[in-house]
Amino acid sequence: MSLLDDPKRLGEHVADFRARHPKKPMRQEFGAIMLALAERRPDVFAVTADLMYATGLVEFGARFPDRLVNVGIAEQNMIGVAAGLGGAGKLPVVCGYAAFIALRAVEQVKVDCAYNETKVILAGLSSGLTYGVGGPTHQTYEDLATLRAMPNTIVIVPNDTVQAALAMDAAVEHPGNTPIYLRLGRGPEHVLTKPGDPFRIGRANRLCDGDDVCLVANGALTFEAYLAADILRGEGIAAEVLDMHTVKPIDREAILDAAGRVDAMVVAEEHSRSGGLGAAVLEVLEDGHDFPVARIGLEDEYPPIGPMPDLRHALGLSGEAIARRARLLLDRKRSRRGR
Amino acid sequence: MTPSKGHNKELAERAYRVRRNAVRMGEVQGQGYIAQALDIADVLATAYFHAMRYRPEDPNWEGRDRFLLSNGHYAIALYAALIEAGIIPEEELETYGSDESRLPMSGMASYTPGMEMSGGSLGVGMSIAVGMAMGLKRKKSDSRVYILFSDGELDEGSVWEAMMSAAHHKLDNIIAVVDVNNQQADGPSTQVMAFEPLGQKLEAFGWFVQRIDGNDLDAVVDAFDAAKDHKAPKPRIIVADTLMGKGVPFLEAREKNHFIRVDAHEWQLALAALDEGRLA
Ligand SMILES: Cc1ncc(C[n+]2csc(CCOP(=O)(O)OP(=O)(O)O)c2C)c(N)n1
Ligand SMILES: [Mg+2]
Repeated sequence: MSLLDDPKRLGEHVADFRARHPKKPMRQEFGAIMLALAERRPDVFAVTADLMYATGLVEFGARFPDRLVNVGIAEQNMIGVAAGLGGAGKLPVVCGYAAFIALRAVEQVKVDCAYNETKVILAGLSSGLTYGVGGPTHQTYEDLATLRAMPNTIVIVPNDTVQAALAMDAAVEHPGNTPIYLRLGRGPEHVLTKPGDPFRIGRANRLCDGDDVCLVANGALTFEAYLAADILRGEGIAAEVLDMHTVKPIDREAILDAAGRVDAMVVAEEHSRSGGLGAAVLEVLEDGHDFPVARIGLEDEYPPIGPMPDLRHALGLSGEAIARRARLLLDRKRSRRGR
Repeated sequence: MTPSKGHNKELAERAYRVRRNAVRMGEVQGQGYIAQALDIADVLATAYFHAMRYRPEDPNWEGRDRFLLSNGHYAIALYAALIEAGIIPEEELETYGSDESRLPMSGMASYTPGMEMSGGSLGVGMSIAVGMAMGLKRKKSDSRVYILFSDGELDEGSVWEAMMSAAHHKLDNIIAVVDVNNQQADGPSTQVMAFEPLGQKLEAFGWFVQRIDGNDLDAVVDAFDAAKDHKAPKPRIIVADTLMGKGVPFLEAREKNHFIRVDAHEWQLALAALDEGRLA
């Protein structure tokens, strides 16, 4: 029996695979990233809206009290203040929750930062389903759609805490006058990235080679795609895994290159199926493609309130689900071809 | 002079039971916004067992007064009152915060009978109160809109936008309570973002303002009565200074009590402390 059809063996295989990839929590690691950045760059300001503890900034505040601006629970004010700091020649890093940056204060991001050509780094923690028990007000599955749709933005979804640090460095060094959104998680997640790994804004990382199917993912689902490729290997299916950490500007070359080789593509993200990574990939392929593309993400209904692992499992955001979907697409396509 | 001094034995018992319900729900999860539930219990007891008009068996009764929970994370406090009011069965408190429960961590109209709005994102309730109060007036309803919000929410501009419109539209059917427990996520509210002199600001915004000790039950009762009886065509607000953890001395003494974890054995100690206060 194949691995995917044998629940017991699959369960053991997946548990073992996960155990080999330890986890790190975003909140604490993010605090360390900010601290290191502040030490290196005297122009860096942290701007927050009563989420100093929640974004791990306590030590930052103790060491650099003059460079921590806490505006209280006032997210629109927070983005405007950050834009003003940027206009005054400082490098503001907004440290908040994804929902309150990309939804509550979305107009300030557009007009004060993007249209106004002001560089502001927006670190949105607790994104996706990572604060599942916070319910619909804290779960965030619309941020890629809102921030991708407005001109002059960069949208990055690091896959783990190590890549978050690399992305922050790249964002800091980026020469453009544009808001740069880093979509970050919350609790412990598997770590795939090593400190010296390459990271370039707009350039996907290929984690596995394969010509049967291409799995495109970002954020925590990159690990799930990586796991899916491992499962598929046991099925005799060679999967390429693209870590598409930058959703905008998207790596057209990497997508078109894969499109020339593979028989199917599966895109997975912890975001609405509308407007996120899956949509961005389809936009690249809009001139035509002759293979099926499946988008795994959130359907057009509000997810329940509950802990993140349960939600991901219930909503099919897992390595097993990605692998099943890939196999299904290939089976269909190949049986059609065989006919 | 406090006219109602000492006449509120029954309400004190209600407040005790609201606190008890909240602590029991806290125990289910081992953590939560317990200190807030304890600080606001006297206000909720007065709202539900003295001031408001509603039918427990028919939470959607058209003639009810509305109660909006703008600070959705206080849901545990409101559930405790809704249980005491008979709107939610007492057994359900065992389900607090679990997957199939009608009692999620943030108050959601879609989940819970007696919840009039979906909260969790701060600073939005006052606008809903304005619209609701306006709608009720247009319908010639004499129902009132009660709204609870928190001192942290005073940071949000939207709250002040709504307060300005409430006064502009002379919405004398709004009775707001702001819980000044001087605490928000990052520390004492007055230190995170200074908001005093709050009473003067609210008066300048055109509201009928009373500032009271929100844990002095007699004062709370009098303030609700005065808010209802007031004649000027203004929205009414009660600024309630409260003590987090009220009624459980070891919780009152805690610092950083915005979201607290309590050790397993301490829940019984908390209940015992409430019992002690009840007898005193
Ligand atoms: C719009 C919004 N911003 C931030 C948060 C995160 N948050 C949850 S509770 C809280 C503090 C709220 O202040 P207050 O209600 O006064 O706190 P408490 O008295 O309960 O400690 C914050 C910032 C939120 N829920 N909504
Ligand atoms: Mg408070």
